[in-house]
Amino acid sequence: MPKTNNFPPELYVATDNLIQNLLASEPFLAYQKSRVQYKSDSQAHGLIERLSALQAELRRQQTNGSVTQADIDELRAVQAQVQANATLIAHASTQQEAVNFLREINQEISQLLGVDFAILAKQSTC
Amino acid sequence: MDEIGLNEIEVASLSVVHAAERDFAAALAETAQFKAFEQTYEALSHDTTAQQALSAYRDKVESLNVLLQLNAASENERAELERLRQDYLTRATVQSYAAAQADLTTLCQQAAGMISAAIGLNYAASCGASCCG
Repeated sequence: MPKTNNFPPELYVATDNLIQNLLASEPFLAYQKSRVQYKSDSQAHGLIERLSALQAELRRQQTNGSVTQADIDELRAVQAQVQANATLIAHASTQQEAVNFLREINQEISQLLGVDFAILAKQSTC
Repeated sequence: MDEIGLNEIEVASLSVVHAAERDFAAALAETAQFKAFEQTYEALSHDTTAQQALSAYRDKVESLNVLLQLNAASENERAELERLRQDYLTRATVQSYAAAQADLTTLCQQAAGMISAAIGLNYAASCGASCCG
């Protein structure tokens, strides 16, 4: 893990320890496993890329008013393939489990601190 | 002797994760940034002049709410609103609190950034803290 400048050493150790334990927790082990499977599954990647490209194309056509029933049918067909793909289903569900676990952890950290840690940690980008 | 499965060694139990989370919260609470944040918050809470200035500003915003939404407030009303805002923002306790909050925010962003980079999920976004909310 890269060292962050001016970061209190005790907090660095505690953060690293939290990270290691999060990574070794059941929800994150399952998520990491599904991520590895997803990265090595070219069919799943292809489906997501195709869905993304079709959605972008449909948005473009909507502004021109040139969407056809065939375009919509094609999008629905790819959406159905995505929803039926085992790798993508596993990736989505394990990610949601990991997010739920992270929220639980954040809630408890925030209760101990008396302030929402995630709110303080958010990056203002707008 | 019972055989211990690899999963039993590799998987961190809930109690271990919760202990790590408590250690993290304790370490963060011990930082100079967090202590300054708490102290300045306490000072601001006891600064009755600042609280009155804030109430005056909020009351004015509320009274002008519709006009502000319609962008129909007069120049005088806008100037009065800005004066009340500055009355609050220029209080020493408010400025100290804002500075301490900014320092703590930087620290929390660094910690969350380390966590996010390691776990492959954006910590703040995953926990429901959007950039706008």
